[in-house]
Amino acid sequence: MSTPGFAARKRAERMSKESLYEVIRSPVITEKATALTERNQVSFRVAIGATKPEIKVAVETLFGVTVLGVNTMITKGKTKRFRGRPGQRADVKKAIVQLADGQSIDFTTSLS
Amino acid sequence: MQITETQSDGLKHAFTVILPHADLEQKRQARLVELARTIKLPGFRPGKVPMTLLQKRYGSAVMAEVADESVNEATRQLLSERGLRPAMQPKVDLVSAGDEKDLEFTLELEVLPEITVPNLGEISLTRLKTEPTADAIDQGLANILRSRRKEIEVTEERPAAEGDTLVVDFIGRIGGEAFEGGTAQDVAVELGGSGFIPGFAEQLAGMSVRETRTINVRFPEDYGSAELAGKDAEFEVTAKALKQFETPVADDALATELGFEDLEDLKKFVRDRLQRDLDSEARQNLKRQLLDALADRVTFEVPPSLTASEFKQIWDRLEEERKAGRLDDEDKDKDEETLRTEYQAIADRRVRLGLLLAEIGQRNGITVSNEEMSRAVFQHSMMYGQRQKEALDMFRKNPQAAEFLRGPIFEEKVVDYVLELAQVEDKPVTPEELSAAVAADA
Repeated sequence: MSTPGFAARKRAERMSKESLYEVIRSPVITEKATALTERNQVSFRVAIGATKPEIKVAVETLFGVTVLGVNTMITKGKTKRFRGRPGQRADVKKAIVQLADGQSIDFTTSLS
Repeated sequence: MQITETQSDGLKHAFTVILPHADLEQKRQARLVELARTIKLPGFRPGKVPMTLLQKRYGSAVMAEVADESVNEATRQLLSERGLRPAMQPKVDLVSAGDEKDLEFTLELEVLPEITVPNLGEISLTRLKTEPTADAIDQGLANILRSRRKEIEVTEERPAAEGDTLVVDFIGRIGGEAFEGGTAQDVAVELGGSGFIPGFAEQLAGMSVRETRTINVRFPEDYGSAELAGKDAEFEVTAKALKQFETPVADDALATELGFEDLEDLKKFVRDRLQRDLDSEARQNLKRQLLDALADRVTFEVPPSLTASEFKQIWDRLEEERKAGRLDDEDKDKDEETLRTEYQAIADRRVRLGLLLAEIGQRNGITVSNEEMSRAVFQHSMMYGQRQKEALDMFRKNPQAAEFLRGPIFEEKVVDYVLELAQVEDKPVTPEELSAAVAADA
């Protein structure tokens, strides 16, 4: 078995329930994210170290849907100055998850 | 909207109203669209928030608002359609309400009775007319003179007589010992005046200047200081000077000094003042007669809730006074039951007359103008004396405070109006008869 990423996928599937909750931080609710739901994609803020396979497993188990693909991005935190001293805002990782046809996630109802 | 009347008993009415869910939903949607245009949410440009999101986030809050509004609207509509005039705020109870159900609520209210204004021209009253007597005028004048009297020192040697003032030093002893506060110098003692230990001033009669006298007095039992009360004391009194009052003679010169043209003018001023007092007493009596007459002539049913709240007000005040031990002598001996019935009757009468006067005023377009209001506010502020400006400011800043002045003015105006229509007969009486009549009313 030499498919690339096979080991990572296996590791993701062995994650504990608790660490799944650690992966998904919050949904992204913006105009842009809402527009993406037209194409059956949903967006989340995720843990900065989360991998695509982990995100896939987390979304599938937490929301009970089938995930076809995951795209991620890291938005770099801005450099802000407070009292003249430079400071760094935290970087944020966002994931755009492609759901299977006919499936959806309702963000307003809380996670079980 | 579906209305069923469940009760109609005299002044009491009750309704059950059902508002269809579809209507509410429509209203809610309209509100949400409105909201979508204005609301600001992070992540969205103004006006670009998707409806589904708003629906989920604000749906129930908007629904509650809409329901509340619809209930009020329905109540208003119901009242105006049936021509009901509620005596108090109607009582609304929600029977069922929910996201998917029709809204059902009950409405309980008491309406104002149909008030038939009695024929005001039939009322006949007696206005007690009176003028101040010559005695009263003289008395008033004398009072003014007294306040202008001057103290002058008597230089001739003569014993002190009644009406004089002796300036004395004294040393007081009880059982031979000087006591605290019993010794003083240069005290003015008015002979024949009050304000001292009984017997003190009297025993100084006939003293001349530089004479020393020893007198014995007994402190009264209810004297201010407990140590001295009821004790016998001896005072050694030395007269130092004798003064007497000179009361000015009522003449033109005095009148000018007081700011009048001549004596006649001053007398007229005194008479006018007395006349004003008498007139206002007479008016009180007349108003009382009028209210009595009106109360006799109307029999409409009074909404129990109004009477109850009026009664509660009276009763609360009574309770308070009872706690403070300031109950009228008249009420003291009566038991709770009789008092309650009595005050219930008073409350009933007040509400009835209040409604009647309001009705008469309304039908005849009697209103309280702004000028009258500001005058009343000004007059009321005068009572605060030095702090008049503060009081004025207070009224200016919150107009609600001035509202409670409006009631009495309105009442007076309506009373004036009715008095014009009623047959008022003048009857001359003496001032004593007038005050007796007023006292009998109270």
